[in-house]
Amino acid sequence: MPAAHAWRVARVTPLGELHAPPRMTAVLLRLTVQVVLVASLWDGLYAHTGTTAGLDRDQAVTYAVLAVLASRLRELDQYTGRDTVLQHLHFGTIVYWYLRPLPPRRYYALRALGEQLYGLVWALGGYAVCVAAGAVEPPASAAVAGVFALSLLLGQWVLYYVLLVLDQLCFWTVRNNAAMMILVFAQNLLSGVYAPLWFFPDWFVTLSSFLPFQATLSVPLSLYIGRIPLSDAPAELAVQAAWVVVLALFTRFLWRRAARRVISQGG
Amino acid sequence: MKAVRIAWRVTCLNFRAQLEYRAEFLLMIAIGAVWQVSVIVFATVLLTRFTGMGGWDSSEVLLIPATRMLAHGLFVLVLGRMHFVGRQIQEGRIDIYLVRPMPVHRQVQLAYFPTNAIGDLTVAAGLMAGALSRSGLDWSAGRIAYLVAAVVGGMLLEAALFTAVAAAALRFPAADYWSNWLEELLGTFGSYPLNVLPRAVSGFLTYGLPLAFVAYFPAAVLTGHGHDTGVPYWLAALSPLLGALAYLGSRLLWRWSLGHYAGVNG
Repeated sequence: MPAAHAWRVARVTPLGELHAPPRMTAVLLRLTVQVVLVASLWDGLYAHTGTTAGLDRDQAVTYAVLAVLASRLRELDQYTGRDTVLQHLHFGTIVYWYLRPLPPRRYYALRALGEQLYGLVWALGGYAVCVAAGAVEPPASAAVAGVFALSLLLGQWVLYYVLLVLDQLCFWTVRNNAAMMILVFAQNLLSGVYAPLWFFPDWFVTLSSFLPFQATLSVPLSLYIGRIPLSDAPAELAVQAAWVVVLALFTRFLWRRAARRVISQGG
Repeated sequence: MKAVRIAWRVTCLNFRAQLEYRAEFLLMIAIGAVWQVSVIVFATVLLTRFTGMGGWDSSEVLLIPATRMLAHGLFVLVLGRMHFVGRQIQEGRIDIYLVRPMPVHRQVQLAYFPTNAIGDLTVAAGLMAGALSRSGLDWSAGRIAYLVAAVVGGMLLEAALFTAVAAAALRFPAADYWSNWLEELLGTFGSYPLNVLPRAVSGFLTYGLPLAFVAYFPAAVLTGHGHDTGVPYWLAALSPLLGALAYLGSRLLWRWSLGHYAGVNG
C-alpha cells in the first residue's frame, strides 16, 4: 500500500506533462535544436584545433551533448502547476503539506523522484538517437558504462539535495528569487554545463572541487568520455557519496527547523 | 506628457517597493551582474582555448559580447517585463490590466522595477569599455554612431523576440516556455562569430531565429568582417534598422493577440 501511495505522488508531475501535448512537443523541439546547436558549436570550434585541455573533438562534442541531455532530468515547470515551495509559502498553502498523512519531506522526495524518472526517459531517448546519429560516442567499455551510471545516479542525488536546500531557504526568506537564480547560475557554471570544467584555469578547477556542484554533472560526464580514468573512479565516487551523506544530514536538519516556522490559521 | 509623468511616478514607486526587501534588492543587482559574468566566462573560455575563432582576433570577438550584453542590459531596464508576461497571464493579471485606463503593454512594463538591470548594465558597460580600449580600430564619429545604433537596434530586436513570444502566450499560455530558452540561446550563441558554425546552423540563427542581427553582424561591419558573414553586406549593415522594424512588427502582433485575448480560462 505505501508503494501505491508513493507511485501516486511520484507520477503527479509527469502526468501533468503528459496531459499537455504542446509542452511535450516544445520539449522535443527544444531538445533537438539544442543538441544540434551545441554539437555544431563544438565541432566548429575544434575545426582548427587538435586536443586542448586534455579533450579531443569527439570527447568535447560528446560531453556537450550529454550535458544538454542531462539537463532534461530536472527541468519540469513546477511553477505552472503552482507546486513550488516558494508559491506554497507565498499563498500560505504550505500548511497543507503539514496536515497530510504523508510527511512533507517524503512528499517532496517522491515528487522529485517522479520528475527525475520522467526526465530520464527523455534523456535516454535522446541518448539513443544521438548515439545512432554519431553525435555521441558510446562508452569505451562496459566498466566505463557501469561506473558512469553509478556516478550519474549519485550526481542526480546530489543535485536533488542542492535544489532542496534552495527550496528550504524559502522558509526563512520572504522572497528568494535572486538567491535561487544565483544558485542556478553557480550550479550551471561549476558543474560544467556552460563548458567542461577542464577548459577553465587550474585555480577554478581546484575551487570547484571543494563544492558539491561538480559532483552533479562534471564527474559523471568526465568518467564517460574518459577524461577521468577508471583508476580514479573510486575516489571520485567516494567524494560524490560523501556529498550525498553531508547534504542528506543537512537537509534533514533544515526540514526539522522549517517545520517550526510554519503557522496554520494565524498560529 | 501626462503619460510620461505617470510612468515616471509609477517607476519611482516600484523602485521604492524593491527597496523594501534590502537583501533581495542587493541580490537582484548581483544576479544581473552574475548573469552577464556567465556570458563573459563562456566567451573567455572559448577565446582562450580556441584562438583566432572564425578568423577574428580576440579583441574583435570581444566587441560581440560587449554589444550584445549592453543591448540586453538596456532591454532588461526598458522593456524586459515582456519576459514575464506568461506568469502574469497565468495569474490573471492581464484581465485586471484590461479594465484600467492605461495601455496593457505599458502596465506590463510598469509592473515592477527591474533591479537586476543595474547589475546587468554595470557589467556590460565595463565589458564595453574594456572591448573599446583593446580595440585597434579608429573610433571615428561615424563608427561610434553606428555602435550606438547597433546597441539600440540589438535591444529592440531582443525586445521584438520576447514580445512575439508574449503575444503567442496571450493565445497559448504554454508558449511562455519558450522565453527561457530564448534567453538561454541569446546568451550562449549570441556572443561570438557565428561563422564557426556549419552554414545550415548559422543560417538558422540568422533567418530562423535572427540573433545574428543582435551583435554579430554589427560587430562584423565595425571590424571589417562584414563581407565574411554569409549574408549580403548591406543586410548585415542594416541590422540596427531591422531591429527597429522587427520591434514595430512585434508590437502590431501584440496588439492583434491582445484583441483576441480570452483569458486563461477561455
